[in-house]
Amino acid sequence: MIPTRRDLFAWGGGLAGGMLFTPVPWKVLDDVSIWSQNWPWIPQPARGPVEEKLSSCTLCPNACGMRVRMAAGSPVGLSGMAGHPVSRGALCPLGFGAHQLNWHPSRLRNPLHRGRKTSWEEATAAFRKALGEGPIAIIDGRTGRAASTVLERFAAAHGATYAAARTAEEKALGPYQRWTGVPTSSLGYDLENARTIVSFGAPLLDGWATPGRFTRLWSERAAGSSNPALRLIQVEPVQSRTAAFAWRWVNVRMGSESALASALARVLMEERLVTARGPMPSESVNELAGKTGLAAETIQSLARALVERGPVVAISAGDNPSVAALNVVLGAVGARGGILRRGGGTKSPVPVEALSGRMRAVLIDSTVPWEVRPNVDAEVFRFAAWHGGTTTADWLLPAPGFLEALTDVPTPPASAIETYAVATPLMAAEGSKDAARFLAEIDPAAGSLEDAIKARCEAIYHAGKGGLIGPEPQPVKGLASADKLYEALGNGAVWTGEAGTPGGLRCDLKEWPGPSAMESPAGWTDGWTAPVLPPLAAKLYRESDLRQAPARSDV
Amino acid sequence: MKMPRTSIFFGFGVLTALAAGWLVFPRALYERREQPFRFPHKTHAEKSGTSACNDCHTLGKDGEFAGIPKTKDCATCHADRMGSSPAEALLVDNYVKRGRETPWLVYSRQPANVRFSHAIHTRLAGMTCRDCHGAEGESDAVPVYEQNRISGYSRDIWGHSISRLRRAPGDGMKMSDCENCHRRHGVDAGCLGCHE
Repeated sequence: MIPTRRDLFAWGGGLAGGMLFTPVPWKVLDDVSIWSQNWPWIPQPARGPVEEKLSSCTLCPNACGMRVRMAAGSPVGLSGMAGHPVSRGALCPLGFGAHQLNWHPSRLRNPLHRGRKTSWEEATAAFRKALGEGPIAIIDGRTGRAASTVLERFAAAHGATYAAARTAEEKALGPYQRWTGVPTSSLGYDLENARTIVSFGAPLLDGWATPGRFTRLWSERAAGSSNPALRLIQVEPVQSRTAAFAWRWVNVRMGSESALASALARVLMEERLVTARGPMPSESVNELAGKTGLAAETIQSLARALVERGPVVAISAGDNPSVAALNVVLGAVGARGGILRRGGGTKSPVPVEALSGRMRAVLIDSTVPWEVRPNVDAEVFRFAAWHGGTTTADWLLPAPGFLEALTDVPTPPASAIETYAVATPLMAAEGSKDAARFLAEIDPAAGSLEDAIKARCEAIYHAGKGGLIGPEPQPVKGLASADKLYEALGNGAVWTGEAGTPGGLRCDLKEWPGPSAMESPAGWTDGWTAPVLPPLAAKLYRESDLRQAPARSDV
Repeated sequence: MKMPRTSIFFGFGVLTALAAGWLVFPRALYERREQPFRFPHKTHAEKSGTSACNDCHTLGKDGEFAGIPKTKDCATCHADRMGSSPAEALLVDNYVKRGRETPWLVYSRQPANVRFSHAIHTRLAGMTCRDCHGAEGESDAVPVYEQNRISGYSRDIWGHSISRLRRAPGDGMKMSDCENCHRRHGVDAGCLGCHE
């Protein structure tokens, strides 16, 4: 029998159909997908001895404690440090994948001048020239660090303006600084002792301040309970993830948060629900309620719910004097469960928003978020570890990536406890330089990072307060010298000072503040310096989007 | 009734596919690679008194798993030849005396973004070595390493049954195997329990 063309087609059809009932297509598909994950240009961590080190996350100012899993001397995995006084063993989705960022395609490897590769020598020469012609400004994104000391010292010696970009949490504490004179870096929220928290758009469960701090508190005292020990009332025009999980979500009109805070204060004082007396909002509750889109009765009931279970504290997403004034009315300023003054902190520098006009040059530290652009006409020297896309910077100077350089980690914003940690380099930083080293090379009198960190250790050691948390917990008084403290911090220990105490802060209102525009809520990326995402974060972000909201009651 | 000619050829095609897919494909997919030398777990258990897996594959107090013993560990007994076995001669001459590590082909090697803690599975979950490794500790020789020609990983990851049906306990180390076992035991490891 000689097969015909038709027979061959029938045989081929049978072959193709029959193949579907064999493992071939499915197994090949599986193997090819695995093969495609291991292409040669995909960075692979070396295989070798595994060890674990303790450190602190340096992506943003929130100072989470980290356990770094090292293989063959390189970080391959990150997880939270259990027992950390602020982050309490948690990390944000970005922190979990931060070790992957150093291989990100957007990593800056060479100095760039208007998009053209250049050298450090040319960049230094250009900055020296600008310095000679002046005036210049130096912008820091994370004040209170040893590097900040170097930047500030350099600025003072050369007549430059030392300015700072503030996080949303620092901005929210701004009104108290203006009213009390205490810098925001010395203020914190005593959330651990609060029983009711009313948040005006602050993403408490989604990236506010040190992520683990509130999420842990919430999971211990509120999650899954219809009558929680910690009541979270979220005031927000959209049902954010925090609003979805809150005890109550107050759905107000966009931009009417100030009006609601003022209305609540008015009800609290009119109904004598609080002992505070002082200036009242000029508008009536009905007028203010009209702005928020809520009924006056709803606001009255909310005001009563606020004081039902104290201590109560109000938290704003940004600089909102009406919310701060509500805290004054609630008696939350300088009180247990409210806003406390803690040790440490530095004088607040000029905010970056205050810079304007014409300057010869502006130097921006790598800790300043990529999207922050000073409103000045100047030659811009921008330090960054990753290229964030569109930029107005004339010079892009590669800064060390994650855990590539020595840095210290001072108390995170909004913390009621003073902390200090040191992150030592766990990877080599090739071809990069941070702004502090760049300036110290131009003027060695600005000092070195190491010396500034050692000076801070000396100060902590001689004060003799607090203790170390980490591999070998012990009080500072038990240490033999400041060098031992420096050594312990370098090994991942965290120094914890004394918590802020009630009574150290007094705030009297002279007049009720006017309405202010509400800033958009901050998220996980707020205050983060790197404008890129690690691959792991992409996956975790997606998972967090899929979280299911529990049953809740709306106002 | 005479079967149509087209059906005969179609059926023949189906049979060819089934034979190729189930019999030829699994043999063609994997490349057989010999280990550096034959290692008899059974002999070691009988002659050296190392009856527990943990005697050689140590699990430290901190949970760190030593994996395959290093050459220096072998050298504590095999600094020189003790018997007449060719495998021992290879060990002593090629690795112990030259101070080199034996390039064992690791059946369980996973992608670099996966980690596995023996300590959690044995100490916390109470699993035994046999639950996953079967009777490996009683074998006369370690099995041939079969490397997948496409993915580059060992056949032990997929499991020895190409259909993944009717597998022996512990056969297969795919992510779905981890997930299924975790689900059966009510363990919520999340992504970061195993990935980094």
